[in-house]
Amino acid sequence: MGRMWNHAKQRVVHYLRVYFGFFSTCFIATMSFRIHFVLLIVMDLFFYISTLGSIHIIYNHVSMIGPWNREQLLFFVSVMLTIQQCHMTFVSENFWIFSSTIRTGALDFILLKPISALFSAFFRHIRPGSFINILIAWGTVIYYGMEVHLDLLAWLLLPFCILLGLVLASSLDMVIASSMFWMLEGTGINFLRIELQELSRWPDFIYGSITSRILTIVVPILLIGSAPVRFLFDHSDWLPLLGLGVAIIVVWVVLHFVWNAGLNLYESASS
Amino acid sequence: MMTAIRIEFLKWFQTMKVTWSEVFVYRFNFLLMVIGPMLVLFFIKYNVWSSIYQGASGQEINGYTFEEMVSYHLWFMIVSMLSMAYSGQDLAEDIRLGRISSYLIYPINFWQFNTARFLSIECIQVGIVLITLSTTYLGFSHILGEFNPSAFFAGFAISFLVGVFWFTIQYTTGLLAFWFEETWTFRVLFQIIAHFLSGAIIPLDFYPSWLVAILDYSPFPTLAYVPVKIFLGSYTELWKAAFTLLFWIIISAGIAAWVWKRGLKLYTAAGM
Repeated sequence: MGRMWNHAKQRVVHYLRVYFGFFSTCFIATMSFRIHFVLLIVMDLFFYISTLGSIHIIYNHVSMIGPWNREQLLFFVSVMLTIQQCHMTFVSENFWIFSSTIRTGALDFILLKPISALFSAFFRHIRPGSFINILIAWGTVIYYGMEVHLDLLAWLLLPFCILLGLVLASSLDMVIASSMFWMLEGTGINFLRIELQELSRWPDFIYGSITSRILTIVVPILLIGSAPVRFLFDHSDWLPLLGLGVAIIVVWVVLHFVWNAGLNLYESASS
Repeated sequence: MMTAIRIEFLKWFQTMKVTWSEVFVYRFNFLLMVIGPMLVLFFIKYNVWSSIYQGASGQEINGYTFEEMVSYHLWFMIVSMLSMAYSGQDLAEDIRLGRISSYLIYPINFWQFNTARFLSIECIQVGIVLITLSTTYLGFSHILGEFNPSAFFAGFAISFLVGVFWFTIQYTTGLLAFWFEETWTFRVLFQIIAHFLSGAIIPLDFYPSWLVAILDYSPFPTLAYVPVKIFLGSYTELWKAAFTLLFWIIISAGIAAWVWKRGLKLYTAAGM
């Protein structure tokens, strides 16, 4: 048992070191293109302003959307923006590159490395330019969290809930990105990911019952934000949060299957 | 003279044919990249406004009934299909990887090649719009409203001008690759701003009056709100909209020509 524990610990430390190496190379690369770095920050800021601004404009004409008032919906949107900002920073870039990785045969080099190919394919590229905006996104979450008067337990669980949402969002994207193995040109798959992200950016109650069930059970994108926020508002509403945990496990099982099936199909274009 | 025109036409037509073949080879990709986002956006808007109007007990909100709001967003989807299909995302890569060297020798230049591509995608989009509208008229004619031929053709013409404006913007931002490694951020930044300020998310009637007054001096309202209102038959200042768009198209095309001229001096033809 002790040996197994030590082995697991060594593996975690090893992967953390590799990840730190990925991070430092990405940071150096980013610093070579400073205008792009600044533009990324400005672009995300405008996105926040337009998203939050649109909701403000709607609420200037109505008092409630579904069961939520202005502050509750803005808190939800802030949570989603934070999850998506973390997603953009840590994983998103990899999905755009993965399509050409398969097409050009660059995946060969990933498969040869003595670390998990899945880890190397989906965590290699980090976007340090988006780091600053994570802080801004967190700022909006804290601001609207105070506006909706979250209790102490909600504040304590908030980072954990956002992390769970991020894990589910990233895992679903990895499954979708793995389908690129079956396509000649996989860029369109990235647009499918973005379209699903768009759907998840709104709370589950805005969708009709059939759509809501499909997007909660079959493709569980509505669990990403709705499950944590509903629990943070009302602690007795814990079932969707449990569903989120179960969904992560199921998605990882599916990912394992799809990834291996995709690798079996991969023809190594460069060799 | 006739032969020269014929050769010119053939050049453009052949380029358009190549683009059509590319689109039809990667049909699924085209569906996901161009049609999918517009349909998903409409689906989300439909659900959001359904939820909002349920809370308002079916009443009007700021002068819009639920059907009118859905109609607004459906026509916006048509406008975006006609105007925002061309992304120009390969432009920057062509410059960065030195692929534009070919266009400096070919009988068709870089601008002509990309304009022909834009026109070919516009042709496909017109087909898709006609299919979308016919099926919608068959099932949901009450949402689209009564067919008004003059409003319909005027809306089509203005949407085409909006498409030309977007094309010149995409082309100009792509040309910035002479100076910058990545140019997609310029493109996406402009899209985010335009999306918010053009009435693409919410009709401009919902915006504060001071903001709408400022926006009147910009091209933004003519990118979504105005063409939608033209399709709906409730915007009569057609010439004003056309002149506004033409003015901004000329400005951005002028900037593109200037950027191309300056950028070409920096071009190193990487990979040759």
